[in-house]
Amino acid sequence: MIESLRNIFAIPDLRKRVLFTFLLLAVYRFGAFIPVPGVDPNAIEEFTKQASGTILGFLNLFSGGALGRMTIFALGIMPYISSSIILQLLTVVWPYLEKLSKEGDLGRKKITQYTRYGTVVLSIIQSMGISFFLEQTSAPGGAPLVPAPGWGFRLLTILTLTTGTAFVMWLGEQITERGVGNGISLIIFAGIVVGLPAAIFNTIEDIRTGSMSIFTAVIFMVFAVVVVGAIVLMERAQRRIPVQYAKRVVGRKVYGGQSTYLPLRLNTGGVIPVIFAASILSFPQTIGQMIDSPVVKAITRALSWGEPLYNLVYVISIIFFCYFYTSIIFNPQDTAENMRKYGGFIPGIRPGQRTADFIDTILTRITLVGAIYLSLVAILPEVLLTGFKVATIPFIGGWLDAAIPRFITEGLGVKFYFGGTSLLIVVGVAMDTVQQIEAQMVMRHYDGFVKGRRIRGRRG
Amino acid sequence: MSSQTTDPRPTRPGRALAHLLTWMAAALRGEEPGEVATEFTSYYETAARVSARDLRQLTDEQLRRRSRHFARHVQAVLAAATKHPHGPPAATAGRPEADPTADLVSRAAVPAFALVREAARRTLGLEPFEVQIVAGLAMAQHHIVEMPTGEGKTLAAVFPVYLHALAGYGVHVLTFNDYLARRDAAWMGPIYRLLGLSVGCVQEGMSVAERRAAYRCDLTYLTAKEAGFDLLRDSLCLQPEEQVHRPLHLAVIDEADSILIDEARIPLVIAGSSEEDHDTLPRLAALARRLVPGEDFDTDQARRNVFLTDEGIARVERALACENLFAPPSLSLQAAVRNALHAEHLLSRDVDYIVRAGAIELVDEITGRVAERRHWPNGLQAAVEAKEGVHLGAGGTILGSITIQHLMRQYPHLAGMTATAASAAAELWDVYGLPAMVVPPNRPCRRVDEPDRIFTCRAARDAALAEEIAREHASGRPVLVGTASVAESERLAAALQSRNIACQVLNAKHDAREAEIVADAGDLGAVTISTNMAGRGTDIRLGGRHERHRDGVTDLGGLLVLGTHRHPSLRVDRQLRGRAGRQGDPGASRFFLSLDDEMLTAAGIGDLIPAGLVATDVDRPLEIPLIQREVARAQRIIEGEHASARRRLYAYADAIETRRREIAAWRQEVLDGRSVGDLLEERCRQRWERLRPVVGEAVLRGVEQRLTLLAIDRCWADYLGEMQSLRDEIHLVSLDGREPLVEFTRAAGRAYGQMLDRIDDTIAEGFEALDITPAGVDWAGCDLRRPAATWTYMISDTEFRPNVLRSLANHATFGLWAALLLAPLLFIWGLYEHWRRRRSRNAAACPNGSRGPAASGAIEAGNGEQ
Repeated sequence: MIESLRNIFAIPDLRKRVLFTFLLLAVYRFGAFIPVPGVDPNAIEEFTKQASGTILGFLNLFSGGALGRMTIFALGIMPYISSSIILQLLTVVWPYLEKLSKEGDLGRKKITQYTRYGTVVLSIIQSMGISFFLEQTSAPGGAPLVPAPGWGFRLLTILTLTTGTAFVMWLGEQITERGVGNGISLIIFAGIVVGLPAAIFNTIEDIRTGSMSIFTAVIFMVFAVVVVGAIVLMERAQRRIPVQYAKRVVGRKVYGGQSTYLPLRLNTGGVIPVIFAASILSFPQTIGQMIDSPVVKAITRALSWGEPLYNLVYVISIIFFCYFYTSIIFNPQDTAENMRKYGGFIPGIRPGQRTADFIDTILTRITLVGAIYLSLVAILPEVLLTGFKVATIPFIGGWLDAAIPRFITEGLGVKFYFGGTSLLIVVGVAMDTVQQIEAQMVMRHYDGFVKGRRIRGRRG
Repeated sequence: MSSQTTDPRPTRPGRALAHLLTWMAAALRGEEPGEVATEFTSYYETAARVSARDLRQLTDEQLRRRSRHFARHVQAVLAAATKHPHGPPAATAGRPEADPTADLVSRAAVPAFALVREAARRTLGLEPFEVQIVAGLAMAQHHIVEMPTGEGKTLAAVFPVYLHALAGYGVHVLTFNDYLARRDAAWMGPIYRLLGLSVGCVQEGMSVAERRAAYRCDLTYLTAKEAGFDLLRDSLCLQPEEQVHRPLHLAVIDEADSILIDEARIPLVIAGSSEEDHDTLPRLAALARRLVPGEDFDTDQARRNVFLTDEGIARVERALACENLFAPPSLSLQAAVRNALHAEHLLSRDVDYIVRAGAIELVDEITGRVAERRHWPNGLQAAVEAKEGVHLGAGGTILGSITIQHLMRQYPHLAGMTATAASAAAELWDVYGLPAMVVPPNRPCRRVDEPDRIFTCRAARDAALAEEIAREHASGRPVLVGTASVAESERLAAALQSRNIACQVLNAKHDAREAEIVADAGDLGAVTISTNMAGRGTDIRLGGRHERHRDGVTDLGGLLVLGTHRHPSLRVDRQLRGRAGRQGDPGASRFFLSLDDEMLTAAGIGDLIPAGLVATDVDRPLEIPLIQREVARAQRIIEGEHASARRRLYAYADAIETRRREIAAWRQEVLDGRSVGDLLEERCRQRWERLRPVVGEAVLRGVEQRLTLLAIDRCWADYLGEMQSLRDEIHLVSLDGREPLVEFTRAAGRAYGQMLDRIDDTIAEGFEALDITPAGVDWAGCDLRRPAATWTYMISDTEFRPNVLRSLANHATFGLWAALLLAPLLFIWGLYEHWRRRRSRNAAACPNGSRGPAASGAIEAGNGEQ
């Protein structure tokens, strides 16, 4: 890593690329502060502050605060990601696209073109939704977010946000082409981490003013480091099943040393199970706000964030979605069949069904570990910081509440910049970005290997 | 005066907006600047100036003296202007921007071209057309020129070749095959010789001395493959005088799209013999013959891999009395079974190879010719030999490898010509940085390309084809049939003979008579059945060798080209059609296709066409536009697959190529004695000190030099073998969300470092084991022996399609998208709120009137604007 950093500034081409990347990211950040015309900036600020705990806050995090301020990049790169993912999925199900994707360069260009059109269409739809939403919403103080609603405002918002997204898309592609790393990932990453210095500064400020004790701050810091370290470790954890290839010339292995293996990830689904689970649990909240009935209200309350029932359902859904998603994206049958086709096999195990069974068994076991890890990460930070609200558990709740120390039931009372889910995503994006930058260094042969050192040492 | 240079029109905001919108639309479509140039008025002006120079009154001797004087001048100018680009070749794409030869072209083209024009007139009696001079100018400036067949590409190439050869660095003209290298060198030789330049030609099977002589000529005609293999062989020489190449300078590539694109799919690999166990192979071949397709084994759709089913595994294990074929003790047996299956069921005699004089000879997929000394790798060759019951040769180890793309990049200057460049322009530009340019024909083309006749099955197609040939032949019109393989050409020839139609067969088995068959192919009543051999580079004259038959053939409509299948690329189809209608002659082309053609089924034509459409009368051609379209699409799919195979090959080879160049440079320094090692003196001090007084330091230095060369070769070969296996297996890392190419590059870098260490170890170990006495050095005992024979490998790549869903899961951004699923919810909520408020507002507004919310919204908006 340090070696890589040194290389960045040692190689002129790479230095230029890094500077270019920073320049474009600066342009992106600049745009994230230009407000959309027609929105009351004070009102939107109030509204965002109030909505920080909800899904809106979550989305705001990934737009780098642009959504919360309603700036021209409020939609950010999201429509582009959606569009490219929709197209990738369509490639699987829609024969026309499947054929097109096979037709080499021309087909690929067409698909890129469709992705861009799709981005514009999605941006228009989303910005329309946003303009409607803004018109109908008021700040907590009662001031409307849009002082002068109407079609003029809506069209202007649609035009501004769509153009903004198209521009961000262009920035991302430029970074990918002329900078380092994948532009799209970098833009998202920049948006997320840009809030981090402010959060750290605020914490220091809190300690200085005495609203947070040094002790809490240290615990908080240690905790954050441990959690992030654990996430990185677990995300990279894999079970390696050795694989042999019939084509390999039988003989001694000289270089590399590592043998070929099938890497099975502990956490195959990444952060997706958590997000699915969170989405499922947000339904009762949304419905509860619409329907005015005491039964629904009671259910909603029991299922609201931080309640024991909420945590229980949350964990169960995470485990369920872990298995569900793993079964969707990793088909042992397909993997076994593919290995058979290309002459690979697990030594001692016959290809086909037996290999599939073997992989399946291992996958089932490690997925359980992965699911437990995901659940812990998803709820522990929240629980530790806001407390484990045992009081609402039926029958024994009151007794438990009295018996358990206060710092467990009420937590440390610290507002964590990232919740568990956000933390998973942030660390995931960070790892992804670092991996991509590193990959680019490898591909350009900058990977720390000083060219021809031994050869030159012996010359003359 | 600056106002004149700027646009005088006022820029209105409207126009600016329009510009912006067009630009944005273009950006969204992802358009790139046009790559195919058709504007070249300045070339025509230069060509006119060339034609205007009349050198007729000069004697031959005066011409030669003028040429020599000119060469001296050019060399002086080049030496003064810049250092020659024979530094390390640029690692990045594209040609060097500051090109010293650009100046050469602009200053010297007119007099040089005029000399060539005059020399061509005197020696060959050919008066170069204006378009040929234009093409020559474009090539001199590193273009790939598209000229229709028969427009005289060979002569057009002489102009740039002569101009650049004046610099004295040696110019290569890369031809499509050996026959053309020989023919063109003999045909164009007199022009160069009249102008005082020497001409060489390299052929397969030439000795080192002959090759050296040929490469030392001012210009050399040869195939790209020979140039590449000589480069690889040079990198294995133990004596500097065994090396044949000079530093590369300019290559003018004939049939450029074929060499730069089609052939770039197969890397050039040089291999040496190694010991292998052959005892079980005949038994395995017999076993493979007994296995039933679909039951005991299966192939993938593209028919590149074959594998045993569960029943097949059980059967093989029973037959070989082997408990578990996939347990470690049976691994080599398992590999041999796989090879036997591959040889038996994926490779066919007279299609992929022919058996001649008790040996297997591979047929080149692209040229249709026998590829001499080419083998299949990894024991497959022995499996095919066992299948055909011929003598089992030695196994092989890869000693060196280079892709066509990297080979071509070794030339500081490239230019090319072909009849089909425009459709390949994008790839030529992306990979080689070469712009394409279309030169119009001297006379417009009159060939009629008729629509395809498509049949459902091969039998119906063959019957209709034979019928068609018989009908056309009856009138005496010459017919050329392009078939897919040696076997198909022979089958068709037999069918025609049974109808008493005399025909000539041009395929890999009859390559000796090629020139004769081609010369007669345009004659009255000629029927020529060919494989790809006639697809490129053959010039079929109407009337053949009888000039008096020419008018007769012209009246009958010229040459008729019949194709039996679509080629893997539309360009190759166009090349076959291009055999007819040369230089404005009449001609026609017609393709007879069958839907069960292997290429079409491999592209999944069955899935492309609705089943109901096909089940009609079998003997009649299917005249359904949809089918025509889908056949074209199937061909595009194959083209796309080949393009990605090339891109992949290039990307993976790139990871090794930088290292290959580094090692090759080091090896060359050791070979030339420019780099003297002191490794042995340090690491084997004892033995060194003991031997030095006995045999002398010079001998020991010589031993170290030779050991170093041998160790480099051995370790590099091991490295390549390792990388080749890694290449087949690396795709597994995609399960972990990593990019196989990146991991491969990473592993290649790591292994390279280890290899450098191993070279040192190998030198030291070799020294300790070597028997060194005052009488001499006993190299026979050294286990770093040289391979007895070298040959080339036919290596194709396997493709591995990643799972889309998995690749999504591996990107954390997908999580963000999942979060975005919530955005529609937000939208619905917004609509709901809208509706709820409207209701409540309506309820409030009702007593005062019926003003709708939409109207109120409009008014509010209006207020906001004031």
